[in-house]
Amino acid sequence: MAIFEFLTPMFVFLIFAGTLVGIIFGAIPGMTATMAVAVCLPLTYSLGLDNGLALLLGLYVGGISGGLVPAILLGIPGTPSSITTTFDGYPMAQRGEGEKALRIGIVASLIGGLVSLAALFFFAPALAEFAIKFSYVEKFLIIFFALTVMAALSEDMLLGIFSGFLGIFISLIGVYDVTDGGNGQYRLIPPGTEYWLESGFSLLPVLIGLFGLATILEGAEAGMPKGQSLKDIEVGAHSRFSWSVFKGQVANLLRSSGIGTFVGILPGVGGSAASILSYTATKTSSKNPDSFGKGNPAGIMASEAGNNGLTGGALVPLLSLGIPGDSTTALLIGAFTLQGIQVGPLFIGNNPMTWDSMIFAMLIANIFMFGIMYFAIRWLAMVVAVPKHILFPVILMMCVIGAYTINYGIMFDVWTLLIFGIFGWLMVKLRLEVAPFIIGFILGPSAEIYFVKSLESFGTLSIFFTKSWIAMLLWVLILGSVIGSALLARRKSRERAAGTSG
Amino acid sequence: MKLTRRTIMALAACSTALIAQPFAASAQDLPRNVRMVIGSNSTGGDTYQAASIVADALAEELGINIKVDAVGPSEAFKAVGRDSRGTTIMLHHDQSYLANLYGVPGNPDPFEGYVVGPTLTINPGNAYLVPKNSPYQSMDDVLQAAGDGERVRVAIQPGGVSEIGFTAMRNAARMASPGSEENIVAVNTGSQSDKNQAMFDGLADVINGSIQANEQFAELPEDDQKAMRFLWITATQEALEQGPEAGVGNLTREDMMQYAAPATTVPMSESEPFTFDKEFFLIYNQEMDPAQMETIDTALATVFENEELNQRLLDAFFIPDYRPMEEAAAHLQQKRDDYATVIESLKAPAAQ
Repeated sequence: MAIFEFLTPMFVFLIFAGTLVGIIFGAIPGMTATMAVAVCLPLTYSLGLDNGLALLLGLYVGGISGGLVPAILLGIPGTPSSITTTFDGYPMAQRGEGEKALRIGIVASLIGGLVSLAALFFFAPALAEFAIKFSYVEKFLIIFFALTVMAALSEDMLLGIFSGFLGIFISLIGVYDVTDGGNGQYRLIPPGTEYWLESGFSLLPVLIGLFGLATILEGAEAGMPKGQSLKDIEVGAHSRFSWSVFKGQVANLLRSSGIGTFVGILPGVGGSAASILSYTATKTSSKNPDSFGKGNPAGIMASEAGNNGLTGGALVPLLSLGIPGDSTTALLIGAFTLQGIQVGPLFIGNNPMTWDSMIFAMLIANIFMFGIMYFAIRWLAMVVAVPKHILFPVILMMCVIGAYTINYGIMFDVWTLLIFGIFGWLMVKLRLEVAPFIIGFILGPSAEIYFVKSLESFGTLSIFFTKSWIAMLLWVLILGSVIGSALLARRKSRERAAGTSG
Repeated sequence: MKLTRRTIMALAACSTALIAQPFAASAQDLPRNVRMVIGSNSTGGDTYQAASIVADALAEELGINIKVDAVGPSEAFKAVGRDSRGTTIMLHHDQSYLANLYGVPGNPDPFEGYVVGPTLTINPGNAYLVPKNSPYQSMDDVLQAAGDGERVRVAIQPGGVSEIGFTAMRNAARMASPGSEENIVAVNTGSQSDKNQAMFDGLADVINGSIQANEQFAELPEDDQKAMRFLWITATQEALEQGPEAGVGNLTREDMMQYAAPATTVPMSESEPFTFDKEFFLIYNQEMDPAQMETIDTALATVFENEELNQRLLDAFFIPDYRPMEEAAAHLQQKRDDYATVIESLKAPAAQ
């Protein structure tokens, strides 16, 4: 059978090895799926195309999924796309339900991965046709929609929105890069700092500074707390995980997987938007939105189904148009070019064997990811029992290594980690909010580019309302999100007032 | 064994020597681990591809490790500028001096403050395309339309290889009809996918692309929104002639020749057509030991005699183009000066 031409023991082994290494990369704060793929890319030439892709796709699926481990157990997102997993996962871990939260996350990851894989397999060319209907205008509106999430995620709406705008402002420091269609000029850079700030602040050091280093600094200020004792952690038979937690969540899982896939097929929107959008959609459509951010399992499901939904989605434009859907799939193109194969609109038809092998590799990688993580959870969950005076230095070291290596050895990235660690620590004292800040920081550059490009191309602000029916639909969603957030904030302030008077 | 002060000193000296050994065995020897930074952030593009192929062959010949890092132009210049030990070398293409000529910040002049090393290979794929149903059948049509007062929008990435062909179009328009160059306008986009999308959205009449990235789009039927047609390939005839006869996809070498000079001509001067071969070359730190540069030159001369490397380059649609350091520097300096003249002349007001 043709399938056995690529489905060899070596092929399966490479997927397994890739998934395992990917999970480890994803689980270490500061290391990402993109980094794992970058490190292994040069190996693929000697492995051949099918085997090389097997390794890289394993790393991709594993890397995206592994991010949930530190997000849940330590409150530090292992990858940018698992930020929203921290919102509910970490409170659950603090309650001693780390293992339960991990199991929920892993099952949601598997569902997200499989749904997007099915979309890739059955509808890739049609989805790619749909993706090219999204011009600068529609892409800006999607980013704008994701930005409205800032309000929904804030404790105090005004401070939350301010924090979000501060994040956007800081993300725009640096050159308006010609590779983004900019003019290559510097902006917002204080004189004398051009050498360091030319490329702005890198996302990953900012992320691990705000979530990782700031937590360590807070711990240092409060006095090192003892780790949770093993008795406090509900592991194994005591984990209270039951499949019934998914009851009533089918719509959430499918919607989040669908959003993840959809964001994946749109090049340039960015992987982090997938989990942010699916988390918000779940929160705003929930009957009990207040419970989000306090350890609601539905939040973990939305975030993880969303970010794994991205994996298949991001391959749609890659294999149907030759355009990568996110930063990791941009690296996958390297595996093709190193073998002298061009990916474009005829790729699937011209290379049916490679196409089949990629689908099988993704399927097997998702199954391996589930198997490896589901059964390793019991031991992973015990990380929180490691005394903090041992755990924190190890995390700090990993954060520094991750920051230094993310752009192939730039020392300023380590300083960025330190600057944003201290800034994150100060933010809490100033009552600024970290979640809206980081969302603004992530989405700010894309929002700017698509906004400016829309105006450059069409020359009028009214184009945002008149471009297409997709734009109108997005406005409906944006308005829904803004009104929903405003109502939520009003209810909160009423409850607070009632609590004070009562 | 009794640990005397002398023993400890001797052990320390041996350890230091052992640790230092990978960094510098002797003056002309390269470090055991060399980092090749490239002027592109992408590992999916031609710069990474060319660097990987050449680095593999060079590492094997020299018996060292060479790691290719896609850090982008600005960080690559900084990295190579910091390191005079020969541990970091840079590989980039004509963009390195074009970005400087176009005044893009963060792009120093490689001919000043750095040493321009040997040329390695050519990517002859730089091309301009139109939608398949475009009224423009040739570059003459584009120039004619500009002359007739029609606005022609060209999607490019500003400040480099993508812009040089656009500059040539404007220069040719001005030569044909002074003032008409104002009708050829740039649509500033980023990556290749952005340029394609600009065409799909009807925001660009002509886009910059490449044979490799756009050939499959040229195979699509005319009623497909994504279908494109080649209009101009900027490579020289000599470069294309050295490429594989089968070409890329359905586009044979003979087909390519129809879109390149002399069959398709965009004049640079009264007597000379504009051509552009995207050449990849090495850039060194100015303080790097010349003996180390010589070692690299000699090793490259050997590997480029090897059929295996040349074939691997040709398979990936690169043309082997090894020139020793001195010859390469003179050739690239001349090329830079020629393009500088065109860029500068467009800054002056047109003589009506």
